[in-house]
Amino acid sequence: MLTGSKNTFKVRQMLPDVKERMLSQSSANAQSRDVFGLRCLPGECVLQRTVMVRKKLTAREGRGWLSGTLFCTHFRVAFMPQDSPKPDDNADPVLLGEHDVALASIEKVVAVGPNRIKLVTPNSSLKFTPEELVLYCRDMRVMCFLFDRLTPDAQVIEITYTIAKTYQPLKPGSVLSFQNAALGSVEMKQFLSNRRRDAHMNWFESASEWEQELERCGATSWRVSSVNDRFEMSTSLSRFIVVPQKVLDTELKKSFAHFNEGRIPRWCWRHPRGSDLLRMASFQNNIYHEKDDIRNLEMVLFGCQSSLCVVVELGEELPSPADIQLAHCRLRALCLGDISTSVSMPDDKWLSTLESTHWLDYIRSCLRKASEVACLLRSGHLTVALQEVEDRDMSCVVSSLVQVMCDPHCRTQQGFQGLVQKEWVMAGHRFYSRINYHRDSDKEESPVFLLFLDCVWQMWFQFPSRFQLTDDFLLALHDSIHLPLFSTFLANCQRERCKRSQNLGQSYTPVNGWRDVLNPDSSSDPSDPPLPPVWDWALQYSQERRERFTQPVPPPAPLQLLLNGNLNTNPDAHRLADTIPGSVFLLSRGTFTCPANLPPWRSSTSGVYKKSHRRAPSSEGVPGLERLLKAWALTEFPQSIPSTFGPQGPLDPYEPLLPLLMGPCMGLWRECYLRGALHAQAFSHPVSTNSLHPVERLAQEVQQLKDKLAQISTSSSSDSPTVTPEPRQTDTNLNRSTNNSTFLYPASRTQAAGASRAAPPPTSTNHQTSRGPSSTSRPGNRDAAGGNKHSFLFRHSSATDARHNPQYYPPPSNAKLPKSNGASVGF
Amino acid sequence: MASPVSAYNSNTLDSQISNTVRDSLKMEFLADVSLLPGEERITDKDLIYICPFSGAVKGKVLITNYRLYFKSSDADLPVTLDVPLGAISRVEKMGGASSRGENSYGLDITCKDMRNLRFALKQEGHSRRDIFEVIFRYAFPLSYSQHLFAYLTQEKFPENGWNVYKPVEEFRRQGLPNNKWRIAFINKNYSLCDTYPTVLAVPYKSKDEDLSRVAAFRSRGRIPVLSWIHRENQAVIVRCSQPLVGMSGKRNKDDERYLDLIREANDTTKKLTIYDARPNVNAVANKATGGGYEGDEYQNAELIFLDIQNIHVMRESLKKLKDIVYPNVEESHWLSSLESTHWLEHIKLVLSGAIQVADKVSNGNSVVVHCSDGWDRTAQLTSLAMLMLDSHYRTLRGFEVLIEKEWISFGHKFSSRIGHGDKNHADQDRSPIFVQFIDCVWQMTKQFPTAFEFNEHLLLTILDHLYSCRFGTFLYNCENARDQHDVRTKTVSLWSLVNSKADLYLNPFYTPDAGQVLYPVASMRHLELWVSYYIRWNPRIRQQQSPVEQRYKELLALRDEYLKKLEQLQLSDSSSSFHLVNSSTSNTTSSTASTPSQQYTQLHTPL
Repeated sequence: MLTGSKNTFKVRQMLPDVKERMLSQSSANAQSRDVFGLRCLPGECVLQRTVMVRKKLTAREGRGWLSGTLFCTHFRVAFMPQDSPKPDDNADPVLLGEHDVALASIEKVVAVGPNRIKLVTPNSSLKFTPEELVLYCRDMRVMCFLFDRLTPDAQVIEITYTIAKTYQPLKPGSVLSFQNAALGSVEMKQFLSNRRRDAHMNWFESASEWEQELERCGATSWRVSSVNDRFEMSTSLSRFIVVPQKVLDTELKKSFAHFNEGRIPRWCWRHPRGSDLLRMASFQNNIYHEKDDIRNLEMVLFGCQSSLCVVVELGEELPSPADIQLAHCRLRALCLGDISTSVSMPDDKWLSTLESTHWLDYIRSCLRKASEVACLLRSGHLTVALQEVEDRDMSCVVSSLVQVMCDPHCRTQQGFQGLVQKEWVMAGHRFYSRINYHRDSDKEESPVFLLFLDCVWQMWFQFPSRFQLTDDFLLALHDSIHLPLFSTFLANCQRERCKRSQNLGQSYTPVNGWRDVLNPDSSSDPSDPPLPPVWDWALQYSQERRERFTQPVPPPAPLQLLLNGNLNTNPDAHRLADTIPGSVFLLSRGTFTCPANLPPWRSSTSGVYKKSHRRAPSSEGVPGLERLLKAWALTEFPQSIPSTFGPQGPLDPYEPLLPLLMGPCMGLWRECYLRGALHAQAFSHPVSTNSLHPVERLAQEVQQLKDKLAQISTSSSSDSPTVTPEPRQTDTNLNRSTNNSTFLYPASRTQAAGASRAAPPPTSTNHQTSRGPSSTSRPGNRDAAGGNKHSFLFRHSSATDARHNPQYYPPPSNAKLPKSNGASVGF
Repeated sequence: MASPVSAYNSNTLDSQISNTVRDSLKMEFLADVSLLPGEERITDKDLIYICPFSGAVKGKVLITNYRLYFKSSDADLPVTLDVPLGAISRVEKMGGASSRGENSYGLDITCKDMRNLRFALKQEGHSRRDIFEVIFRYAFPLSYSQHLFAYLTQEKFPENGWNVYKPVEEFRRQGLPNNKWRIAFINKNYSLCDTYPTVLAVPYKSKDEDLSRVAAFRSRGRIPVLSWIHRENQAVIVRCSQPLVGMSGKRNKDDERYLDLIREANDTTKKLTIYDARPNVNAVANKATGGGYEGDEYQNAELIFLDIQNIHVMRESLKKLKDIVYPNVEESHWLSSLESTHWLEHIKLVLSGAIQVADKVSNGNSVVVHCSDGWDRTAQLTSLAMLMLDSHYRTLRGFEVLIEKEWISFGHKFSSRIGHGDKNHADQDRSPIFVQFIDCVWQMTKQFPTAFEFNEHLLLTILDHLYSCRFGTFLYNCENARDQHDVRTKTVSLWSLVNSKADLYLNPFYTPDAGQVLYPVASMRHLELWVSYYIRWNPRIRQQQSPVEQRYKELLALRDEYLKKLEQLQLSDSSSSFHLVNSSTSNTTSSTASTPSQQYTQLHTPL
């Protein structure tokens, strides 16, 4: 029997379901399928099933009710719509279907009876037959299931009990059992271990990946140091850190002691105009500064800029993790209402109550800080060092926001994922404690990352056309946080992750990864399931959902080409030039100061500095710096409609996107926080799911024109700068012969792909292979995909092929486009 | 420039115009402001505009009989103002001969469209008195027995907007008359009710004498008449004014019987639902002045109060809103300040009232809607309910008809509420009822982005010309007065402007649907402040544009650019790339076929 062998649920619960399990597992196929059409994961058992259930649809889903069957397995609560298409047995397993919720995401189960509402806990007993079952989820979704009068009462009560008994991973160890339930089966383990990680995003796990980033940013005077390779210098830092070229590892080692937790100033990002962004923990006080130390410390802090360093203190104006936690709790309570009694905030006090959560205030302060930093970076050759006591919370928020503002690459899905890897995962944001999966570190719990996602959403909301990723992607990431399955979030730093994978024998071995040196012997302890990274989206979401992660046609981005060199159009350089070299300023509350004890080794008590070094900096540089911030205040103001291409030509892509922070401009992420508030859900038009289609249509047309233009210009003038690969002509011919709109996107995108670094030369054969899976997985063509019958376990090759091209954007689904038949045959 | 909101002109043709305007301005300062036909220069003057956003700006102001135009003389600080004089609510002198301090002597102009303008002048001669008098005279022509600009304009449009709404045609579209409802011409001479239109739809069984008797019992003779009928279930929306019950609790058998006739006209209506838009207490208080509400004597009817406040409360609410958004947006406690204006709460009550009406009707129940006089809240409720129920009104033409019908013809007192050309800025009859309605429509377009054929620009244009007095559409209080002043023959309709350039006002995302009822969510959680109207004068706000539309416009611009390049390439090199030209034309036709939108086809023609 191919059941989950490590299942930790009590036998008592399993017993009534043996028959069912027999049913669901009777097929010889490794892929188990329930008779009622639920496609189970390998080893997943259906604990309870209820027929004739209706699920309330959210606004996004088009509102109304959907009838089908409700399942509770030991991993999820699943809902299968009545007339859903027969699942493809050979497809790769997807953890959660469109209407499913993982047990670990459920926060409360509420049964609604004829005239009463009851919070159902594992120990409670029901004295009535529920008419409605409401699941409140940690990710602020609310699932509402309505039982039919014809639904057998026993089934209704049973499933309510079953869900109530199995959902809560409250005790230590329950997270593990949940992981086992999801990923513990032999097939799942094998499946996971055969998955390849996305080679087109930067994981920042290896030295070469960091070097790639240095190269991408044109940061030539920096190098990757492996001084922390064994986590001896700093336990919370990543294995590889980026430091100035001129500092030797032996010198570097001495500087760790001067910073809290050994988190010395490290390079994060370089602005194309030549400024560097660093982050560091607070200075260690009461430490004697040797003369040599000081030299090194200065070098590390100044990085590659000799003249000017601005230390941005993040503690003062930004919320503390505890503030964020409190605000988020209030926001939750406000948006979901009082869960047990279904009492919600009176509508007429909604706005002021929303204000009093301070959630939006905190978002604003983060965005403001990041805007300030972005403006500093934009305007001069200087080093900006973000400083936070621990350097593991708000500096993650600010440093990544700055990059989202300034670096168009970070507004693509791949770039954003890399950014999170770099500034959160590798930098040691304590995901594990902050998310508090085990409910054992309540004091540490704080949704700092969710605050960051909301900040990014605000930017997306104000500048959607400058993002390649969509709010759908942000929402998916938001929801994934609450699923304790991903290695990305289940550790506090790289060291912990490495430990775990060593213990596990590294069963989730990336084929091209750099961790393969770690422990080639994968037989050490097979008990714990291998945890995938969150970025393996195919594991979580269907192809259709993933297609919505990126814009159908991304903003035109001639980006990679520009970023390799340093732009040297520095309008403000002359203003800063008069600054005394070696000045350090502190930016706090919007003003610059140069306190005597910043950095502490320069203070009089340490003595050594003054004797041997240049004179202490005066505040002469301050006006220049303040002008930079004022310039921000001004640019915020007459900035015209941010069009990527006006009549004046394209904007400078590195001009930071500075969000408006006025009250009326800050929005509430309703699609996220209010999707649970069923009573107050906006009924978006039923066709709202394709509300984008005129844009998509137009985008297609533009793409065609662009291609045609390229064709004509190559054929008419050979010296045209927009060189299109020669094989295009044959390429398009190929397209014409096949299903029309399917190939339009990949084909038209060869130009962009050719420009990016990792893309293979766009020969026509290559395209043919890479497009195969993408076209077959589209809903309209699913049935036609007969030729694609791989076993689900080994189909990864085609799955990765689909991601072959980093600039690959899935074509819009046929379902979204009404009658697009003629639109694409124009080649 | 025709429209004061030039920021919205995305269309290439229009931006060309604005470019030429700008160029010509450079050549000769203010000499070449493109005036409307019939617009005349009155005076111009050097003064200082105290801009709340960029400080004092030196420049020159031009006053015509239509607008106040200001342009800064400093090229580095390009500030222009283009304010129709009709938008001016109040002009005041600030500072006296003794006042000190820079720029403290001048004029303070309050506008109806959510902004104030301050100008500083030199304290010499009678310069201030002169310009004050000119502005006063031309902004408030009715107070000087002069003509509104709508009567002076010589504008010509290819379309005639006065033909948009023909009452009988509209009734015919709804399937009237039928065997239950007839078209009555009893009000042909405005004898039955002077604020109603001439053509009315009433129950088939009611006689003209009945109507007269009912009119005696309804405030200002505004009897219950049909506004809209549901094509399938024949449920109707009927509008009227309050019954004249008074303190003594008078009854009127004719009125009771008449309402029962309305109920009987629909088989499925067991109980006629009467929606009184007012709060209960207000309805009771109205008894003191002879009004009141339908009591128990109306059998087979139920009365529901919708708790919508009166015109005075709305006026004060919008005033508070203006205080927190102009000139500076309240920073520290934005949301609670917004809440304390109650503006969104009023919007919510109006919308939820309309939702109740629409819901009743779509369930096959006939309803009667009234407030006190049946021309403010009633118009809001019936027109919004009709917008929810009838997809025809969600088209551009249909929306024009809706406004013409429910607001203009049924006597919403535009003249009193707006105060066209009238200097009494403190008049208690003024109230932003129509603005509130347009706000509700905007909320609906936000919640159903694909359900409306028109875009936000149309709503902004309507509100701009609500005040501008350039068109006759919103002038006067009722049809009777409009007839007396020959509005239809002597002035131009706003719809002439709109329909002549309809593509400016079309929503690219419109997806027509058949007969879907739209219920917006009337909850503070989902209502938004209409930032691009109320805060549009704040230069920081301007870039806030519909995200998707912004993307769409960028794509449009890109496409135009490509088209142009293609054309150039093809012209310069037509012989060598002949086959490509061929392929491109085939492409154009195919994509045109796939996009039925009018805009598409038009923009394709350059190829």
